[in-house]
Amino acid sequence: MIWRAPGSWPNWPNWPNWPNWHDARPFPHVIVDDFVAPDELPALMAILEDEPVARYESDLFAFDATTPEPTTPALRELRDAFAAALAPALAQHTGKPITRADLRAYAYRPGHYLLPHSDHQDGLARELAYAYYLPSPQPPIGGELELFECAIEGTELTSTRSARLIEPRANRLVVFDVSDVSLHQVREVLDGLRLSIAGWFYR
Amino acid sequence: MTLDLFAARGTIIDGAVSGPLAEAVRGRLSYARYALYDRGSYDHAEPHEPELIAAVTALAAEVLGRALVFASARAIRLLPGDYVLSRHDHAETGVELMVDLSAAIVAGAEVDYRRNGSAFFRMPSRPGAMSIVERGPGVTCSHGYVSKRVPAEVVRLAVLLHDP
Repeated sequence: MIWRAPGSWPNWPNWPNWPNWHDARPFPHVIVDDFVAPDELPALMAILEDEPVARYESDLFAFDATTPEPTTPALRELRDAFAAALAPALAQHTGKPITRADLRAYAYRPGHYLLPHSDHQDGLARELAYAYYLPSPQPPIGGELELFECAIEGTELTSTRSARLIEPRANRLVVFDVSDVSLHQVREVLDGLRLSIAGWFYR
Repeated sequence: MTLDLFAARGTIIDGAVSGPLAEAVRGRLSYARYALYDRGSYDHAEPHEPELIAAVTALAAEVLGRALVFASARAIRLLPGDYVLSRHDHAETGVELMVDLSAAIVAGAEVDYRRNGSAFFRMPSRPGAMSIVERGPGVTCSHGYVSKRVPAEVVRLAVLLHDP
């Protein structure tokens, strides 16, 4: 078991910050450091190394990533184990009906970014988003996860303000709410290499 | 002046604006800041440049071989970290001119046009050049992210023209 299943974590389900899930600002999120046991990290990295990576680019983003659906059985098993390990606890603590997760690996190189967006799209059933930061041979400068405080009228945002920066520290998991106001971005990587796996939990 | 037929619905004309004229226009623009980050982050200004607008309108009419009349214009400036997303585009129809008034090429600072989400024309960073794009239904425009890794300033004049 690569993922540190909740039952094996100290003080589970009292993660640091868990009591503040609904109070976390600018919108619900939790940060868990040392998410994977150190002796399991080489096995995790070995699974990811077998997965092909391509460049993805639009007006919103530029990065290298694996395909939305993993091509290797090992990565599909890793994804399913991740969802199985976390979905029950996340459902309990967020109050959201989590059933499954997807998973892609990302490599942000210098000049790569993901501009502000909310992740929320009608019909996609995304409930929570997550990012897990992998060890990097060249830890990135930049590449922080930035959360924004938003005001909304109807479905339109009327103001947006930077509210929190989360450093992409190796072996850190970040889980955050998906809603109309969950505006966030990955700041441009200025140097180094930002490696992560990320995706969404679905109802 | 050269004409570069880039795609069926877009054209780039080099040398549409001279360096000294672009510099003079840049010096006259008075900007306000736009920062709704789910749409864009940039400076914008109302250009009071009737002679320049008349000149580029005439040039576009000559290239397209038909009469065109001025509808609206605005100037935008993008600094490191700035961008304009497609979803922020006003999706107006007509002929759009994008005049690059920048002082220097900025790598990666491009204007992309999409039709129903599919890219069909790209205007690269090319100071002095002007693109001409037919904007029909479903066409959107975005200004690419300007990297923070190097100092940069992108200034563009967007002019929308209509048929008489």
